[in-house]
Amino acid sequence: MLEKSNTRTRLLLSGNHAVSWGVKLARPHVAPLYPITPQTPILEKLTEFQSQGELSAELLTPESEHSAMAACISASLTGARVFTATSSQGILLMHELLHYASGARTPIVMFNVNRTPGSPWGFWPDQLDSLSQRDTGWIQLYSESPQESLDTVIQAFRIAESVNLPTMVCHDAFYVSHSVEQVEVPSQDLVSNFLPDYKPTISLNTDTGRSFGAPVDQVTWNRSRQELAEAMAGVEGIVNSTGKAWGDVTSRGYGALEHYKTDDAEVVYVTMGSMTGTTRVAVDALREQGIAAGLLKVRLFRPLPARSLREALVGVPCALVLDRNYSPGMGGILHQELKSALFGMPDAPKLHGILAGVGGVNVPPSKIQQMVTDFKDAEPSVESVWME
Amino acid sequence: MREILILGRGGQGAQTAGNQLARAYFDEGQYVQTFATYGGARRGTPVASSIRVDDQPVRLRCDIEYASAMLCFDDTLLEESFLRRANEKTLIVVNSTRSREAFSGLGDYRIYPVNGKDIARNNDMGKVVNSALLGAFVATLDKPDIETMCEVIEETAPAKKEQNVAACREAYLHIRNSI
Repeated sequence: MLEKSNTRTRLLLSGNHAVSWGVKLARPHVAPLYPITPQTPILEKLTEFQSQGELSAELLTPESEHSAMAACISASLTGARVFTATSSQGILLMHELLHYASGARTPIVMFNVNRTPGSPWGFWPDQLDSLSQRDTGWIQLYSESPQESLDTVIQAFRIAESVNLPTMVCHDAFYVSHSVEQVEVPSQDLVSNFLPDYKPTISLNTDTGRSFGAPVDQVTWNRSRQELAEAMAGVEGIVNSTGKAWGDVTSRGYGALEHYKTDDAEVVYVTMGSMTGTTRVAVDALREQGIAAGLLKVRLFRPLPARSLREALVGVPCALVLDRNYSPGMGGILHQELKSALFGMPDAPKLHGILAGVGGVNVPPSKIQQMVTDFKDAEPSVESVWME
Repeated sequence: MREILILGRGGQGAQTAGNQLARAYFDEGQYVQTFATYGGARRGTPVASSIRVDDQPVRLRCDIEYASAMLCFDDTLLEESFLRRANEKTLIVVNSTRSREAFSGLGDYRIYPVNGKDIARNNDMGKVVNSALLGAFVATLDKPDIETMCEVIEETAPAKKEQNVAACREAYLHIRNSI
């Protein structure tokens, strides 16, 4: 411990343990959890906090991730603040119930450590596990550092509970999850003021005898989707105002998107997750060489802030989308989303999709810098291109 | 920015040593980042712990391409796949019973062998060499201070705290006297 004040303590923590600290400060009532590499340290630290009497949440350890998510939904419907964490095969096993959680409007917060799905078997950073859940109705936020993961998991409870939508926060395996760094841990008072106790609008209890889950007719199901759409439409604004409010009390503000040296940029990288940090270094190096490079970080992926992406990229000659994921038969998922968001836009950038870091392969700043030479004046292809 | 690699085999303590060294830099007020690479590592498989140290927050999230210093837990690991991440400026401290001259065939590197096993045994540490190797490593670096390193070892060693610190100091002096 290096420094302590009334509002914060600076600790040396891994990305996963930073998440556990954030969760402890957020005071969930229930946390159903199932272990999986590389998420397990989150579970282990929460268990340690509980055994030391620092966390009063009920920790459940069901027999699978599917059961863990079922327990999350049930607990949330009773009005509890609920947290879970998973990765890779775990989030994929939850898939069916991820749809259920958003349809039931349960503000569950889940942390996903991005890891390659099998087969072949691996433990490497790759965002396909959570990106392939993009149609399940969950808010998705991506973090680039242990500090941001702690800050974001606390914000996620406030975001989820203000729109009644489940929210997942993701960070990359190893480069963030197992990276041990300085992390400022805010005080309990600061977090309790920022995130008051959860006051559910509807909750099931044995006194009122309500139930949840009866079949509905077609019109009601249709209306439930329109209500989800209305809730989703408000999320970007809430992510921005929540990130700003966090900045007001910690000096670390966040938004749905972050613009890094984009003002006069002629080429803009678009990234999510851990590669963002490395790209910052590459952009600085390019600027020193006189190349007007910039970076647009996508922190909020669902709902996709499409209008803000259009505003950020209008008039930019060239944008390079870096994807640490691969959708077979289509390409990079962020590349596809960007193409969709910018469709029909006058003065749109030439958009190149680059499959960089798929399966966790190393992406050093030199390779990111090289992309400017390789793509800046090239005609973009519809398909994403594999990084050499 | 300083970039350091600690190489070992699963179970030898390379990751623990990496965390302890990072903690010493952290205690001296530096920004650090340390992470280990492993693939569901089992005892005996090669593992690497990476450490970045800077006076400002570390933003890079990728492998270390060139290390300014390396600590190697096992001289059989000093071969091409690791040495391509070193150059003639890289300081390499290696746990070995061999002499410095025995490594000259590897190329133009600054290699400091230290007999970690002997030092560990002298200090009632059995085969546990990580505190001795950290002492030797710190002797070749300008930072962290040996006192900071010993404080971290004393605080974090799960057992035999005094013996761990003694092994660290003995190896430190051994290298200091040979430079």
